[in-house]
Amino acid sequence: MKDWNSKSALPRSKSMKKNLQAYSFMLPNLILFTVCSLYPVMWTLKYVFFQYGGYGTGVPRFVGLANFARVFRDKVYWESVIHTFTYGFGKVIFIIPLAFFLAFLLNQQKRGNGAAQSIVFLPTIMSSAVMGLVFYLLFNAYNGEVNQYLMAAGLIQRPINWLGKEHAMKTLILTAVWGGVGNYMVYFIAGIQQVSGEAIESARIDGAGRLQTIWYIIIPMLGPILKIILMLAITSAFNDITNVMVLTEGGPTNATMVMSLYGYRYFFPISAAEATVPQYGYGAAVSVISAAIAGLVTVGYLRISKKLDEIY
Amino acid sequence: MKNWNKNHILKAAWLPLVGKWVFLGIMIIFTLYPVIYTVLGSLKTNAELTQGGGFFPETWHFENYYRAFVQADFTRYTLNSILVSVSVTLLAVVTCSLAGFILARREFAGKKVLLALYLSMMFVSLGSVTLYPIYELLRALKLNKSIFALIVALTGGQATNVFLVMGFTKGIPKELDEAAIIDGCSLYGVYSRVVLPLSKPILAVVALFSFRNAWNDYITSMIMTISMPKLQTLTVAVVQLKYSVNAAAEWHIMLAGASIAIIPILIVYLFANKQFIAGLTAGAVKG
Repeated sequence: MKDWNSKSALPRSKSMKKNLQAYSFMLPNLILFTVCSLYPVMWTLKYVFFQYGGYGTGVPRFVGLANFARVFRDKVYWESVIHTFTYGFGKVIFIIPLAFFLAFLLNQQKRGNGAAQSIVFLPTIMSSAVMGLVFYLLFNAYNGEVNQYLMAAGLIQRPINWLGKEHAMKTLILTAVWGGVGNYMVYFIAGIQQVSGEAIESARIDGAGRLQTIWYIIIPMLGPILKIILMLAITSAFNDITNVMVLTEGGPTNATMVMSLYGYRYFFPISAAEATVPQYGYGAAVSVISAAIAGLVTVGYLRISKKLDEIY
Repeated sequence: MKNWNKNHILKAAWLPLVGKWVFLGIMIIFTLYPVIYTVLGSLKTNAELTQGGGFFPETWHFENYYRAFVQADFTRYTLNSILVSVSVTLLAVVTCSLAGFILARREFAGKKVLLALYLSMMFVSLGSVTLYPIYELLRALKLNKSIFALIVALTGGQATNVFLVMGFTKGIPKELDEAAIIDGCSLYGVYSRVVLPLSKPILAVVALFSFRNAWNDYITSMIMTISMPKLQTLTVAVVQLKYSVNAAAEWHIMLAGASIAIIPILIVYLFANKQFIAGLTAGAVKG
């Protein structure tokens, strides 16, 4: 094969020109990438070792590993880690079966199925901030429509404080399921459509019934894609922040504080009603530890799913 | 008929059709209820919303929208949102298309390092805290007083989309490039006349999702406009209403604002729902 774009075959000046030409294509994206991805990550990794109150508060002071030591002693932080796991677990445990069931019902090209798919998918294109505000009104203890309906139906006697300490996490998970189930339904539909028809046919010829075929052929063949879907669900749950910020602001009294939001609060106020004194160094350390925890969970998950592969 | 048996089994005939649609009906109500509440609520009075009223407004108060647009300045925020979302979409499509093309087609000095960096940034997720260094950098460059800062920050590094375009470009036969070069095309000609027209499907995916993300974004838009409230986008302005002094008396205005923020994307979705759904799998499962 004629390798027309190999630079080694060319004299030096020509290879220089080729490189410049290539970078003229890369440059616009490279600028964005440097400003918005590379630089901020480098900045954060540097400031984990500093105490810094921001622009106009004096020179950052080097404190070594003191920020990390403080993270490990920070009780509220570790509570927020537990809340993140509760939230992620609650979200995944409802979304995955629901999404699979919906995909199972809607995977065929039939009248009505396409429309139902489009409706279930709808929340994923809407702003989680704006819908967070709507849910805040809907679940409001005294004036919210959810309590109004439940009381009118006689299901409850007194209004339930959906955003109070006791129920806030459940409400948050419910709204997260609302916002995410359509996504995972579409992933499952893509997976089901990849299951080969031949395997199913041969199972049928061997006398497998319909339920047997679903259980022994379709679900196992969905295995690889189920792994990817679960991983997407887990990692995305770690990153959720906007819905928490708008619906509960991490409250009441940190009951729904998740780790992404906890790091954020050392940089910016969570709500317009809150005044914070920024602690960028500490916030950076919190965020790095949180990213490490999320990374560990992902690696652990991949290990476990690999082990499961070997067993089957 | 290879697919006949497969479809036959997946048809779920063992589940009565009625049961299927009862379940789907519940799911559809669950999904649509908050959206309908927003749109209908935006036409009610505050008392109807907070003290319990009918499902539909008693009288349709279109003046809520007048109040939102004029008194709460939503005209300005709507224009900001349109400007920001369109700019982000264009910037994302142009930069990813160029970078994806060259990464797929050429070897050049430093390419391996760049690919490794892009890949690592896809997996390192420090969350919204990275907005602070971006903000400080743009302030140092004296860009923080214009909407440009928001556009840059919202477009972001685009690593995922670059890989998406790169993967797609690799699927376009190289022979087409070679033929164009023999016909006298330069590298720029190959890009603009051969590869660009053929990568329209993937660029449409990038555009659709960039637009959606920019239109819906809250945190980046809020931070980048922190010192310039006039540059706020719709989502930021709507959520800020929650903290206004009269918040308890202005649910109807909040919902009118929320409707203004969601109706444009609903209209886009009405026409492009198939593309949204197909684009999701193109981006996530293959990538």
